[in-house]
Amino acid sequence: MGSNKIKAYYDEAYPPVPDATTLFWRKFLPWQLIRFVILNIKMIRIVAGGHS
Amino acid sequence: MAKVVVLGAGVAGHTCASFLKKKLGKHHEVVVVSPNSYYQWIPSNIWVGVGQMTIDQVRFELKKVYDRWGIVFKQAKALEIHPDEQYVTVEYTAGEKAGQTEYVNYDFLVNATGPKLNFEATEGLGPDKNTFSVCTYSHAAHAWENLQESIKKMQAGQKQRILIGTGHAMATCQGAAFEYILNVAYEISRRGLSKMAQITWISNEYELGDFGMGGAFVKRGGYITPTKVFTESLLAEYGINWIRRAGVYKVEPGIAYYETLDGEMLTQEFDFSMLIPSFSGVGMTAFDKTGNDITDKMFAPNKFMKVDADYTAKPFDEWSANDWPSIYQNPLYKNIYAAGIAFAPPHPISKPMSSPNGRQIFPTPPRTGMPSGVMGKIVALNIAEQILGGHNEHHHKASMSRMGAACIVSAGFGSFDGLGASMTLFPVVPDWDKYPEWGRDMNYSVGEAGLAGHWLKVILHYLFFHKAKGYPFWWLIPE
Repeated sequence: MGSNKIKAYYDEAYPPVPDATTLFWRKFLPWQLIRFVILNIKMIRIVAGGHS
Repeated sequence: MAKVVVLGAGVAGHTCASFLKKKLGKHHEVVVVSPNSYYQWIPSNIWVGVGQMTIDQVRFELKKVYDRWGIVFKQAKALEIHPDEQYVTVEYTAGEKAGQTEYVNYDFLVNATGPKLNFEATEGLGPDKNTFSVCTYSHAAHAWENLQESIKKMQAGQKQRILIGTGHAMATCQGAAFEYILNVAYEISRRGLSKMAQITWISNEYELGDFGMGGAFVKRGGYITPTKVFTESLLAEYGINWIRRAGVYKVEPGIAYYETLDGEMLTQEFDFSMLIPSFSGVGMTAFDKTGNDITDKMFAPNKFMKVDADYTAKPFDEWSANDWPSIYQNPLYKNIYAAGIAFAPPHPISKPMSSPNGRQIFPTPPRTGMPSGVMGKIVALNIAEQILGGHNEHHHKASMSRMGAACIVSAGFGSFDGLGASMTLFPVVPDWDKYPEWGRDMNYSVGEAGLAGHWLKVILHYLFFHKAKGYPFWWLIPE
């Protein structure tokens, strides 16, 4: 609701925000399918390595 | 025939009971005591809280599943443990026996009672008072009913202030609140109402992205990036403001009072607020064979059960990964275990901090989800092997300093328009001796946003329900 015209001098102004290219890759299905497989493999490795 | 009693039927208790029965079969008895008749998959409560799922999509009746498995189910709450005589006193919470107490004897006891949602620790906090919660499915449904009222007001041209985060200076579960605020922002944005809402995140974290784990580092965009940047970036993308290092100590209608680490006493006004309470143990008591109260020997002051951790008081710089328990066995009574949130951590993971006025403001350690499931499983396997093998050895171990965690924060519910922010790290408790540079193994670290994480979150919902209901090959699904 506040004015965001000046992009400085408050916490919310400093983090990186995604540009159009990043937003595209986030929803680009072939790339996301690859990431989906990679995420699954990483998570299975984490769970399997977490207990003996 | 041996008898194992599991107190609690959440992620840790239900997982423990299911593996116990699988390993022990018909020749030994498994009893589950839970005050609730339903199992609930808590991570999906977030979707109930924004109207994307109904209550019945995140719960199922325990008795049906336990009848099929041959597990005895008692809908009751545990009151007392008598470890010398090996029985627990329980009080039925429903049905014809409601209010009646019963002594349930055991050979092995697993305390997986989870947390007490300690709304009372913050004046005016909670769904019966001035804020909402998503800690249970009924709380989440209640929150959604009221969030809809705020949405209607925005649609009518009335601006709304929304406050979401931690409702106590030492609350944990920042991840759940963080997921909820992203979902609320997403739902408001989807309706074209972003300009009508001022959404604010309030947290007891020193920096955002701490999540009670002292923060983490993730590989992202060619850099090793702190989760602070990852978290703030997501909030900024959704136009969410934030307040950090804040210990909420009182809530009145429409106004939250908090103290900052700097000692400032401030307020934040709101029209809708969801704040996570602090957690404590459920408050069971323990008595020895002579009737002496030994609660303080078996439980830590926060009412969580002591296990095989190093509880020696140490300064932050001397904390070690080896302080954390690996088999969750009570040191006094070797046939008693505590899994999931019910075990007492040896110390926080985040650095303890206090305001000049002495108020401690920092998150306590998270033990939910994947770690709870893993603990429940290894406790079950160790008990089953002791019963079947007639020995006292523990072949299965799972310390939070040797265990990873995955946190997927997903907003939206469609197949192609959701956003999943995925974070993985290993181990949960940083091990600065083994990983001196970043405290954790960077090969396991992920911090990314995209549809892939969102799909994973949706699929995990259905996979974990498949597992919890004991459908074919349930044991192949990881915790």
